[in-house]
Amino acid sequence: MFRSRSWFGGGLWKPKNPHSLEHLKYLYNVLSKNHTVSENNRGLLVETLRSIAEILIWGDQNDSSVFDFFLEKNMLSFFLRIMKQKCGSYVCVQLLQTLNILFENIRNETSLYYLLSNNHVNSIIVHKFDFSDEEVMAYYISFLKTLSLKLNAHTIHFFYNEVNEHTNDFPLYTEAIKFFKHSEGMVRIAVRTLTLNVYRVEDASMLGFIRDRTAAPYFSNLVWFIGNHIIELDTCVRNDADHQSQNRLSDLVAEHLDHLHYLNDILCLDIPDLNKVLTEHLLHKLLVPLYVYSLMKQKNVLCQNQDEKKHVSVVVALFLLSQVFLILSHGPLVRTLAAIILKSDLDIIRDGASKVLEEYAEISSNKAIAFAPPKESLEKSLENLSESQADLKESCEGQSQNDELPVNTLTKKQRERGMNEPGTSFDTTILDAPPENLSNPDQLEITIPNETVEEMKHLNVTDEEKEQRLALESPLAPQQLPNDPIQESLTNKPFLQTILNSLYCNENDYTALFGLCLLYALASNKSVNAEMLDLVLSPSQQVPTKNWYNETLVDRLIHIITLSCQTNAKVRLVTLELTIKLLTRLVMSEGRSLLHDTHLASIEAAKEQSTALLRNFYKSEDIFLDMFEDEYSEIQKRPLNVEWLMMDSNILLPPTGTPMTGIEFSKRLPCGEVERARRAIRVFFLIRRLSLTLNMEVETQLPLTNPATCIEVNNVLDLSKSYLLSSCLTGFIWGAKERRATRIYDGKYNSDLIACTVVWKDGQKIRRFLVIDVLQLILVEPDTKKLGWGVAKLVGFLQDIEVAGDKDDSRCLHLTIHKPLSSSASNRVPLLSAKFIFDDHIRCMAAKQRLTKGRIKARQKKMSQIARLLDIPTSMPHCSTPPNYAFMSMRPERATGRGHKKDQPRPMFTVNKVPGFAAQLRQDGVVRSSSGSTTPNGRRSDGSPNGRARENGLRSRDNSPKMPRPRSEEIPMEDMRLRKASLAANGSGLPSIVCSDRKDSTVSGTSSNGELALAIKKRSEETSFTSPQVQDLKPRRKGQVETV
Amino acid sequence: MSYAYLFKYIIIGDTGVGKSCLLLQFTDKRFQPVHDLTIGVEFGARMITIDGKQIKLQIWDTAGQEAFRSITRSYYRGAAGALLVYDITRRETFNHLTTWLEDARQHSNSNMVIMLIGNKSDLDSRREVRREEGEAFAREHGLVFMETSAKTAANVEEAFINTAKEIYEKIQEGVFDINNEANGIKIGPQHSPTSPGGLAGNGGQGGAQGGGCC
Repeated sequence: MFRSRSWFGGGLWKPKNPHSLEHLKYLYNVLSKNHTVSENNRGLLVETLRSIAEILIWGDQNDSSVFDFFLEKNMLSFFLRIMKQKCGSYVCVQLLQTLNILFENIRNETSLYYLLSNNHVNSIIVHKFDFSDEEVMAYYISFLKTLSLKLNAHTIHFFYNEVNEHTNDFPLYTEAIKFFKHSEGMVRIAVRTLTLNVYRVEDASMLGFIRDRTAAPYFSNLVWFIGNHIIELDTCVRNDADHQSQNRLSDLVAEHLDHLHYLNDILCLDIPDLNKVLTEHLLHKLLVPLYVYSLMKQKNVLCQNQDEKKHVSVVVALFLLSQVFLILSHGPLVRTLAAIILKSDLDIIRDGASKVLEEYAEISSNKAIAFAPPKESLEKSLENLSESQADLKESCEGQSQNDELPVNTLTKKQRERGMNEPGTSFDTTILDAPPENLSNPDQLEITIPNETVEEMKHLNVTDEEKEQRLALESPLAPQQLPNDPIQESLTNKPFLQTILNSLYCNENDYTALFGLCLLYALASNKSVNAEMLDLVLSPSQQVPTKNWYNETLVDRLIHIITLSCQTNAKVRLVTLELTIKLLTRLVMSEGRSLLHDTHLASIEAAKEQSTALLRNFYKSEDIFLDMFEDEYSEIQKRPLNVEWLMMDSNILLPPTGTPMTGIEFSKRLPCGEVERARRAIRVFFLIRRLSLTLNMEVETQLPLTNPATCIEVNNVLDLSKSYLLSSCLTGFIWGAKERRATRIYDGKYNSDLIACTVVWKDGQKIRRFLVIDVLQLILVEPDTKKLGWGVAKLVGFLQDIEVAGDKDDSRCLHLTIHKPLSSSASNRVPLLSAKFIFDDHIRCMAAKQRLTKGRIKARQKKMSQIARLLDIPTSMPHCSTPPNYAFMSMRPERATGRGHKKDQPRPMFTVNKVPGFAAQLRQDGVVRSSSGSTTPNGRRSDGSPNGRARENGLRSRDNSPKMPRPRSEEIPMEDMRLRKASLAANGSGLPSIVCSDRKDSTVSGTSSNGELALAIKKRSEETSFTSPQVQDLKPRRKGQVETV
Repeated sequence: MSYAYLFKYIIIGDTGVGKSCLLLQFTDKRFQPVHDLTIGVEFGARMITIDGKQIKLQIWDTAGQEAFRSITRSYYRGAAGALLVYDITRRETFNHLTTWLEDARQHSNSNMVIMLIGNKSDLDSRREVRREEGEAFAREHGLVFMETSAKTAANVEEAFINTAKEIYEKIQEGVFDINNEANGIKIGPQHSPTSPGGLAGNGGQGGAQGGGCC
């Protein structure tokens, strides 16, 4: 009976307004009458919980009495009571979601305090839900995460109970971290988020609790978890020689990166005590024993006492350490790790591994350097926390001996030390220390970071040994310089030795790539201080060693470079690029190369060799030129990014040659002739660039096409200096026939200009002038106002065109301009594919001939450029005729930008040999003067800014507002849908010349509603092409105009 | 509640674009926005049916966690679908899309389905971003586009379900490696041919709507 009544609200009438205190009262009644969850009232309860959330949020924003009532009736306790009945996930999930909604949406601070005030929330947090239900788990962890986002200096006290020294607890944090290695990825992420949210609350007492009670157990478990992950990764690499489990491997690598980023996020919060504990754990239990010790070839040295000690392969170790140095930036950690890798010698390690354990009990702050499971599971450690005071004390003692670092005493000790010896504090003093201090041996010892000293202590180094070590390494005495200190001590430094030995590419460059990565990562980590790298990597800042570099290392790098120039070399492109990157870093100091002549000679020899290698492929493939240019742009566009490289799990697998693995070209060996040619091209570029850098020279011959000499869309051209093969133009060049005729023979015209109609695939027709330059094909739209001038509307390279006649219409040509070949883009959509209709058959044939020849000539010209680069003697005469600067003369602004080209070999000359064409060339000087004279006033001054912009390599279109080009408004600026993108940008420039209003409309038209606007414009363009121009010209040309 | 697949989604976009409201609107229709109350939530799950198969969607809002690089990184990687949301009444939220997309593409697995959502379509009078602009952006970057309103519930259902459909199609095409949970896809407990247990979700299915487990 009770149950059936409950369906109807327990007898109380339900208020009509769901957002009112009355409604909450009604819901309270429902709850109080349904203490027991049953099959029948479950739906009602869920509905009630939802309504409560809604009313509370409404109340939070509108009516504070709602919250008063909620609090007064202690309604959260109903939640708890329902929860404790093990009511199944349906109700549980709704409960948790209601709480989520509550905490997520409450804006009023006071409301939030009300909700948190009676510790019910903490009781809910510690409630043992059925976490095997993934839905409950997900809602629960989201609830905790939502709460953690509400944490601040005030709210923290509701969660962290600081009653007295021993009973304090922090369930939100301790419950959450129990799930740090949950099988569900999203849960783990939520836990990490929560911990970070907790750490960043600035509350000393809470952080003290975290550090003293939870840091050691949590971090040791975390480190163990990460370590096991690494071992799994290593197994995956070992067992996958045939690239079968790329997916699994890439997950494991990504997961490791996630871990490193998480650790880095914690360290970056810069909580000194916490960082100290975390750094200790990382170094002692993971980075040194598992990562660094794996670099050791003679594993037996380390495994004397613990034969089951785990390690990973050298490749994996180098890879992981590279990631560590690329991601982590916490100074003390990174510096210590670097010191251990670069400086520790065999004696330290051998003695250390055995003796550290003996000393272990005495020095409580020391931990074994071992990758070993934590003493107990995290759950257990955390349970201990909540146990009685006595137990807790006991467990604490146990922990402080094993895991936990008594941070307070240690930091105190350090502070004292730091006070007494100013040089020992590793953060600032070293960097600030004046150079003369460094020449003092005592001070030098101090430059080893504090923790290194500690580390060395663990390893049981005697003072004698220390001195010995310092003597070996120290750059102090100038007389030591001639001897290579590295050489001397290398055999005694197993870790460094392994790294340097990995650079030998005996069979392949598998390990070399990782060795390079690690060295590069070490050199680029900002927290590793320069002094430490002094003798290993970077050029020294100190005067006596200023011009010193590590010859052993450079020898090996140059060896890789030399190897990669051989036929069938086993060095991948990525390895070569990284080698060069590292080498440049090592030997370039203040823009100068420190390289000795012998080394420089080796580089030059390698350059010769790479040139010779490429010579074999010259012309051997049809697409050689396309590949050559494509590879060049690839190298320019995508310089090597080491951090990204280290995210790619594919490089962990042995180098392969087959593209079937999906591994990108630069990260594998070439397969087939084409790829070998590509590789040779790239090797050539890379070494050529290195050689130029070392010689402090500037590249003058590449790219083959100097973008500064090319016409771009919307450039304005002076057509009057071209020969017009067009009856149409005669319409508006009044009475020009005679004059033009004379001019032709005067030798003032030098490019071909052929009128034609361009018919696009979709049937659109546009009248254009086809201009064929040395390298480019240009479609020009003549200017109506200024006679003889035109605007380039489409530009393509002659080398990329394809011309075909039309068998039905002898006036037609089918022209395709391909985009430059690109290995990265799979489908090649042509830049232009259209039918060109000429005035008659003769002109059509002439155009076809010009185009076909133009293509051949353009390619020949470039091939001979390559030949020159490769020192291949060419049959083509160089500079037998003056260069064809025809188009440059049309665009006076180019003249200024051309200066730097003078040193270059002159471009090949292309003469018009087609019958019926007359085109002449002129000397440069004539061009300049004549262009000056034919240029209307004001144009000259416009030229220079444009020219400069182009020189800067900006793909600047002529959109400078400084360029007043009087233009007809009837001729729209935009067409050529193929260049829509660039037009959108350009559209803003040219119309502005006409008037600003127009500019605005055009811009919005092209950017947003492009196609429509274009279509309209195209239509108007067609009509405007003949008539308005004619009209426009009339007043100026005395009515002599006649349409043809 | 058994399902054939579980898809994990994330919702990304600037703060205040209504991500959490979309999420709640989709997962719990009880919060019909008849009243002038904006309510959101950071996590939700709901069952849908595609092609006669029960599919569970789990949606995680990543709000408030942008400060930590490790967190955003991990979220992206663990999701099969992403809703990239902007507010049609605030131009800057639209302008930031490129950054969001770059982030997503960099960190996520390449198969992740991204849907572009212009939210708050009910506020047409205050519109700053035209529908066509959203469409153009989506076209340019290969996204599916939709304008929604978490308030009127317009298109909310469709946005989530269309994304699921696309993921489902990719599974049928064999693009997704469904045995790899890191992709944000999980095979339902009884559908999994290989793994009889061990997954977190296997234990407490009984508590679902119809079944009694008290």
